[in-house]
Amino acid sequence: MANIYDIVTSRKLSYEQKVNALAHAAEDTLDVLKISEKTHFYLDKGIICNLNEGNAPYRPRYIMPDYDKAIRNGVKFLELEPPTDFDELLTFLQILYRHVPSITTYPVFLGNLDKIIEPYITDLPDEIVEKKLRNFFIYLDRTITDSFCHANLGPEDTRAGRLILKVDQQLKQAVPNLTLKYDPDITPDDYAEQAIVTSLHVANPAICNHKLNATTYDNYGISSCYNILPIGGGSYTLTRIVLPRLAQLTDNKDEFLNTLLPDALHCMADYMSERIRFIVEKSGFFESNFLATEGFVERDRFVAMFGLVGLAEAANHFMPEGKKYGNDAEADDLAEQILKTISDFAAQYECPYCEIANHRLLLHAQVGIDTDYGITSGIRIPVGDEPQSIYDHLRHSARFHKYIPTGCSDILPFDITGKKNPAAVLDIVKGAFQLGQKYIAFYADDSDLVRITGYLVKRSEMEKWNNGKVVLQNTTQFGAPAYSSGHLADRKVRHV
Amino acid sequence: MALVRKIIAQSTVDGPGNRTAVFLQGCNIRCAYCHNPETQSLHDDEAKEMTAREVFEVIRKSVPFIRGITISGGECMLQTDFLEQLINLTKTEALTALIDSNGTIPFSQHRKLLDLCDGVMLDVKAWDKKVYQQLTQATNDAIVKDNLELLAKENKLAEVRIVCLPKSSPIQTDIENILQHIAQHTEIITSNVPVYLIRYRPYGVITKLKDQPATPDYEMQHYLQLAQSLYLNARI
Ligand code: SF4
Repeated sequence: MANIYDIVTSRKLSYEQKVNALAHAAEDTLDVLKISEKTHFYLDKGIICNLNEGNAPYRPRYIMPDYDKAIRNGVKFLELEPPTDFDELLTFLQILYRHVPSITTYPVFLGNLDKIIEPYITDLPDEIVEKKLRNFFIYLDRTITDSFCHANLGPEDTRAGRLILKVDQQLKQAVPNLTLKYDPDITPDDYAEQAIVTSLHVANPAICNHKLNATTYDNYGISSCYNILPIGGGSYTLTRIVLPRLAQLTDNKDEFLNTLLPDALHCMADYMSERIRFIVEKSGFFESNFLATEGFVERDRFVAMFGLVGLAEAANHFMPEGKKYGNDAEADDLAEQILKTISDFAAQYECPYCEIANHRLLLHAQVGIDTDYGITSGIRIPVGDEPQSIYDHLRHSARFHKYIPTGCSDILPFDITGKKNPAAVLDIVKGAFQLGQKYIAFYADDSDLVRITGYLVKRSEMEKWNNGKVVLQNTTQFGAPAYSSGHLADRKVRHV
Repeated sequence: MALVRKIIAQSTVDGPGNRTAVFLQGCNIRCAYCHNPETQSLHDDEAKEMTAREVFEVIRKSVPFIRGITISGGECMLQTDFLEQLINLTKTEALTALIDSNGTIPFSQHRKLLDLCDGVMLDVKAWDKKVYQQLTQATNDAIVKDNLELLAKENKLAEVRIVCLPKSSPIQTDIENILQHIAQHTEIITSNVPVYLIRYRPYGVITKLKDQPATPDYEMQHYLQLAQSLYLNARI
């Protein structure tokens, strides 16, 4: 109960953060999941990590409502009629977002915002649309106080999309995160270049390889930290295997690959199945929540994200000094072997209630959390070990991205001259995507907004938090320690 | 074979988009404001003899991240056989090839090369012959003007580059004059050819201009406004 007392009396948490933390503490007093001895061992060692999902999940972790359907049909539970003009639409969305749950208690997916807005602004001049959008975005930033929240743009060029980028660049906010779905055959260069310039000013939007990611499901969206998930569904759970901690148990590579890894993967998969069963069979979410009962999400469109983190350090653990993932062919081969073992396992394990994924687990390159020391995001190359050439870096990514369907990404800081030649940055994106790289985010090395592992945080807010002040955004609290422990300020700046 | 000074895999200042830039050794005019005087000599220990094929293999490592290459110098038009061979090779990877030249070699005598390349980035250093001769060791300024006309007509002018010395410098340039004259080539205006006004900076300079401070902002703005009033697609 000390924990609860600490929450109640904290000077560093806002009121809302206290309420959420207390709810979490309450959930964790329950012990309702059947977990084997062995799984307990892996959980206690932090080898399997449930990312603070709680002991009794009562909603799926990530929910991707079909906003188009809600706008078409209206929402009975919220007594909302289909909106008929732009003002009504924005109010409709503000109310609806407020009621979309997730692991963060805030919505992680705000829809394909450009396409949602486009039909409502045809008769309005730019100035009016921008003013309303600005207010709408300010509302989102101040009420969704967690930047694991994502709106999507593209791949088609829209007037709404261009205005969203413009407003986003002016506001310099951490919320919402934006991603442009980019396909060189659909997205015009000048629109993609506007997105890149915006990104080099405010670290937003990220750019997603539409051609590749569109093959994952019939209709995908990007939520939270670059999760590729089905719209009208989402993900029940994201549990991750912390590979370097598992590797610590042995110095024998073969034992790791043939015994330890398969065993831990099996425990993790069973554990995830148990969580899914609880959500579906016990929590009542799908019988009672309006999103499910009114058909804005379908139970059979949820997946299970099988996370992994620290591939680099796991591979390096078995390599002699000086041979490192990202720099050495042998280390890369071993890493690929590890990744393939995980991928093969996921492809044969039968996971309950995952119809849209053919009852399979789907790999996710988990980006890390604030308490990961010396563990690099997903399959990324550790900061400081990046190859000299950005081309080699991206080729390396492409090689590993192909194993990961539900989200993996690279974050590249560019020096500010990129703003002058966005076409050059776009050429690099095109090349990377052509090779199979799936998702790329940038920021300029002089920007106040920085990408931590995927989400956005303001350097100025981190300073406030580090000095013991209350901050509005939850993610600042994760970001500040991650920024220093991950040495993210030392990421290799790419000169363009 | 050519004498290659260096190859930059990723350049965003040598033409549109992301390009690999190849710098050849050797130049013929010794400009007073040259940033890279080490590339002027026709022989230099730091430059390397390379075949077109060898250079191409280096360029290939940048595919598919680049849209093309730019061959620069020194003065790359001193090694036209090599240029032809190299550009022929880059076409097999569907890359565009631009030539960056000081305009002292007549393109009219290198028809094949001109047809082969995708465009030329041309330096126009002065319009007045006396200014030109003060700035460079070249004697004949007519070749640059002929090149400008030919390239503009044939739609091969990728970019015009003008280095803007400050008014306070011991050499008085005639930037206004250059701008007035290039604006008379209607093709430059109708095809929106970028005209880059390059601020003089003393970095690397070894001549009497070496202590000359960089061209101030307001002078650059003045040239920019003048160029824009002449409907040129000017940039700084
Ligand atoms: S033409 Fe260029 S390389 Fe040659 S001397 Fe002049 S500035 Fe230097």
